[in-house]
Amino acid sequence: MDIERFSGTDRVLHWVTALAFLYCMLSGIGIAYPKFHWMLTLLGGGEFARWLHPWAGVVFSIGAILMILKWARDMVMRGEDWAWLGRIKAYISGRHEELPEVGKFNGGQKLYAWIVFLSAIVFFLTGIAMWFPENFSMGLVRWSVVIHEIAFIVATAFTVIHIYMGTIGVPGSIWGMIGGKVSETWAKFHHPKWYREVRGE
Amino acid sequence: MSTLTTGGTVGLGIKRISASKEPDTTTKQYPPLAILVDISSCIGCKACEAACQQWHDLTPPIMTPEEVVQRRIAGYQSHPDLRHDLFMLMKFNEGETHKGFTWFITKYQCMHCAEPGCLIACPAPGAVIQYQNGIVDFDHSKCIGCKMCLVGCPFDVPRYDANNKPWKCNFCVDRVAAGLEPACVKTCPTQCLTYGFKEDMVEKGKKIVEQLKKRGYPNATLYDPAGVGGTGYIYVLPHGDKVKEYGLPENPRVDASIGLWKGPLKVLGSIAIWGALIGAFLQLILWGPIKVFGGKEEEKEG
Repeated sequence: MDIERFSGTDRVLHWVTALAFLYCMLSGIGIAYPKFHWMLTLLGGGEFARWLHPWAGVVFSIGAILMILKWARDMVMRGEDWAWLGRIKAYISGRHEELPEVGKFNGGQKLYAWIVFLSAIVFFLTGIAMWFPENFSMGLVRWSVVIHEIAFIVATAFTVIHIYMGTIGVPGSIWGMIGGKVSETWAKFHHPKWYREVRGE
Repeated sequence: MSTLTTGGTVGLGIKRISASKEPDTTTKQYPPLAILVDISSCIGCKACEAACQQWHDLTPPIMTPEEVVQRRIAGYQSHPDLRHDLFMLMKFNEGETHKGFTWFITKYQCMHCAEPGCLIACPAPGAVIQYQNGIVDFDHSKCIGCKMCLVGCPFDVPRYDANNKPWKCNFCVDRVAAGLEPACVKTCPTQCLTYGFKEDMVEKGKKIVEQLKKRGYPNATLYDPAGVGGTGYIYVLPHGDKVKEYGLPENPRVDASIGLWKGPLKVLGSIAIWGALIGAFLQLILWGPIKVFGGKEEEKEG
């Protein structure tokens, strides 16, 4: 018996935000890092990528804010989540028995959710200044570029981990976002507290 | 990474291009050029502005008297600010000095910095070019329209057209490449503008400053800001203690934030993102995917 992990709304919201973020991330790398300038060709050319980047950014920011509004209650960091994060080494090396029992989301997933939300706010505010530099004081625009870049570094590094964990790193988890259902064994193993809640035990 | 030959688009030889490796400059070398603007002999006729528009085929809209009043600009100035179709502007500012009422006149356009903020900030390889002779020019075919050249410019110069392409004074690079003087210099009736090798222009400027000091302008100075490595337009300012009144920044330099995101933050970003990729790969090969019940008890549970 499979269990529904993410509703249709959750999935649409996640993928719209995810695809918008991916475009921003790749075009951002192409724009900001001259060594990867060639990537802009694959994204529609330099001018087009620079045109679409801010619009995709608006979609990402709105999506990320809606997502956190919908999921905030599940994402509240509790003592056990910090304990889980403290033992992250046990998690990645397969010593599962050393970890505290996890609810619908583990500490790492919760941390990532907040990083996405915060980065969305920072990307949006600094991005507006960079989009219309003539309309803001130049000092503000200049430091916006720096903060935009810092947000990029944090968000991208964590997104690399997120994509890895969601696909190869944790087999079976991708079906939560594709089709929305995960297997019972998967739920029992990775999110036992949530499994019991769903089953009404 | 170089997207241009050492000759560049007009064969002048390249000193530096945006977002690219330093070009090999051993083939072509040329000393920097400069235009000396001697404000003390400027009569404010704006012939340079007209010549600039004529040579570059620019037709900026003429302001109506209502607009002039609305924008509160001195009546003698043709436009309130530079535009994408107005590469240079004579600025007129009224003020007081020890000589009584003074008109602070400046020729306002791209300064052709030796350390150009636009070129340093530009992320598109080859979109900003600095020629061997010091001229800084834009190549619209390489520009992606991100406006970082404006963010990098300490003089607030580039202006954008409807396609987000930047425009500015290009020192009449086409004329200079053909051995002619820039249009503004050619037309100046009072020899307020002179053009030549930077070394000679600095020498000439210093002489005028000395003469001005003897003639009762003790604060006269030559404006060639060191913060941007010196500029391609240098100014004799009769009232050198009032640089700001001339509409020029006192100590222009490429903002520290530009160096921060062009340098250390790029290194940090590369480490963080490659680190995340390598970390994920190491997890995969050292411990393998995190399988349900270690991949063993699945059947028992099922």
